Amino acid sequence: MHRSSTLSSLAVAAVIAIVGSRIEAADMLAAGAKAYKPFAAERIGLALAGARELQAAVKGGDAKAAQAAWIKSRKGWEAVEPITGEFFPELDEAIDAWPDAKQGYHAIEAPLFAGKLDEVKAPTDKLVADLGEFSRRLAAPNFRFRPQGLLNGATKLAYELGENKSKGGESPYAGTSLVDMQENVEGLEAVYTLAFADALKARDAKLAAAIHAKIEEVERLVKIADIKQLDQPALRKAAEELAVLLQNAAPRLGLKKPAIRG
Amino acid sequence: MRGLLPAAFVAASIAAVLGAGTTGAAPILGKGSVLPEGTELNEEALDQPNELFASELAGGKRSYLLNLGDLLFSSPEILGGLARQAGISCNTCHQQGHNNPRLYVPGLSTRPGTFDTTNKLFNPKSDNGVLDAVTPPSLRGARYLAPYGHDGRFASLRDFVRNVIVNEFAGPEPSGEILDALVTYIQEISFLPNPKLGADGRLTAQASAAARRGEALFAAPFRHDPAMSCASCHRPTGAFVDHQTHDVGSGGRFKTPTLVNANFNAPYFHDGRFDSYAQVVAYFDRHFDLGLDADQQRDLVAYLEAVGDAAEPVVRNTVQSTLDEIAAFVSVLDIAIPEHNREIVALTVDAVGNEWRELGENFPGRGDTSVNGGLSERLRAREAARGAVLALRRVAMAAAAEDFAAAAQAFADYRQHVASAAADLKQAEPWSLYNPAIRAAHFAAIRRLAELAK
Repeated sequence: MHRSSTLSSLAVAAVIAIVGSRIEAADMLAAGAKAYKPFAAERIGLALAGARELQAAVKGGDAKAAQAAWIKSRKGWEAVEPITGEFFPELDEAIDAWPDAKQGYHAIEAPLFAGKLDEVKAPTDKLVADLGEFSRRLAAPNFRFRPQGLLNGATKLAYELGENKSKGGESPYAGTSLVDMQENVEGLEAVYTLAFADALKARDAKLAAAIHAKIEEVERLVKIADIKQLDQPALRKAAEELAVLLQNAAPRLGLKKPAIRG
Repeated sequence: MRGLLPAAFVAASIAAVLGAGTTGAAPILGKGSVLPEGTELNEEALDQPNELFASELAGGKRSYLLNLGDLLFSSPEILGGLARQAGISCNTCHQQGHNNPRLYVPGLSTRPGTFDTTNKLFNPKSDNGVLDAVTPPSLRGARYLAPYGHDGRFASLRDFVRNVIVNEFAGPEPSGEILDALVTYIQEISFLPNPKLGADGRLTAQASAAARRGEALFAAPFRHDPAMSCASCHRPTGAFVDHQTHDVGSGGRFKTPTLVNANFNAPYFHDGRFDSYAQVVAYFDRHFDLGLDADQQRDLVAYLEAVGDAAEPVVRNTVQSTLDEIAAFVSVLDIAIPEHNREIVALTVDAVGNEWRELGENFPGRGDTSVNGGLSERLRAREAARGAVLALRRVAMAAAAEDFAAAAQAFADYRQHVASAAADLKQAEPWSLYNPAIRAAHFAAIRRLAELAK
């Protein structure tokens, strides 16, 4: 009886410890997700501001300013790519559609960088509206990032960084594919650092260090002056390894293995 | 980020030169490509050259060396410099061990289907300062076609392959195993069956009367040199070659090309100067002053068409055929992991990972609004393919860490993943680029985008 009572007490204590630990981890993840939100809001704000400048430049017939504004807007968008498809799939489809050239950045990019301002007015107005909607939804007080969604988005983006860029990359008409990638990496790093790094360090410092090192490796590979200098095979390998490490982090964080959908 | 790369359609002037404009042609356009603008690698065709292996035709199976050679043939990793960077492999120029009649690299090609292998872009060390583009030949029946190179400069296929890797494409010195595997693969590529041609090199009853008249002309002595005939060089035996080089007035001595399955080998001559047999026959009529009239020339062409035919020259790419190829490639790991062969594990993971990525990109994602329907199926298929890439990457990571027990476990996990992934991929096939209608819509959207960028 006495022995049984002791075991029961130990079991209860263990359950409390596990539950407590899970609550603590969940709290850390919730705090991390909350910490990430201002970054996303800031970058989507930049995307929106750039789109508005683009709208004004198109209206004023200033092609050079319009192109610069497209690039500015695009940079903001690329930095939040870890969350776009995961949390706002319909807006992601409208804003970053490819190759269907009816709306979004790429519908504007192709004629804009050929100097055809007349053809970009309608899609630009739509882009401003879509980014405005994105920004409003993101800023809503009741909107919260789910940690699982953030890890899914970061892992997916890590995988996609390994896609072949040797034929010009994502924005071949603007010639900004390298900038796209650099912003992607910054956005991915922001998700990891703000939302997961502390929680993972507390549970698996070695894995946390490996992810940190891998992000730095990916960063080094895209920190080049010209996309033509890109070591594509090395980037693909590093990006896939990063995606694997992020998958490995999931159980440590009490999350499911990230799916790579989209 | 999104799926397939924005390979776009080139300006009308270049399109005219390339004969582009049909579904699938997608020359590179836009800033940032490591290849010259207007490059056409002809990577989008849904129908691929048929590739048959001698061992399988004999009722056997693909060996480890054949599978390894096959995957290495598709691996940019064994090459260096620009080729590796641009994702170019042996298979780019010799698609499925055949040729690539649409291949065109501005500055390095004199016409579609040709390429200058001694240029500063791909290896400055081999640059000879001459634009001497040649056709990458079909490798069907290569084991019967020594010497190698258009001018027959290499007696050994192994030496020829090494030269391509190291000197033409700036790759690292290949290991003995890599060379053995590539040579095995190339030697296994068979001529395609041709019911019009008998094993004795004579036409069968399935050939036309015109072809049979042509057969007689082919063996007939030249009027100014009775010791010679077409058949004296293109010996109508197994491969229609004499293993010799000859000067036929085309700018040097070049080896006698095979005529077997040659209907699919255009453009003809070492530099691809002729598009058709009619042009070739007319040229030889002039060069050797054969005195052939128009009917005789037509009969000779009919003969060449009969000898050069094949029962099934192309096959349609499907999810299943791609999965079969991947399964053959990845089987290399069954030996490489237990052997603790890190180099081969890494090369296999890279090459097969590329195949999985390409397979996944055949399922348009959410952002590809040119495709209607099947979104959830497409997304599942993409997830399945991407999952395979990462499952495979785990194998390489474990092997790189010298933990081959973990690599074996990761490989078992990969196989388990693939077993379930196959169903998702096949279910989504109707909404994928394996469907010609979906493919047409997808590339039409790319064309529209390219039009907007003009």
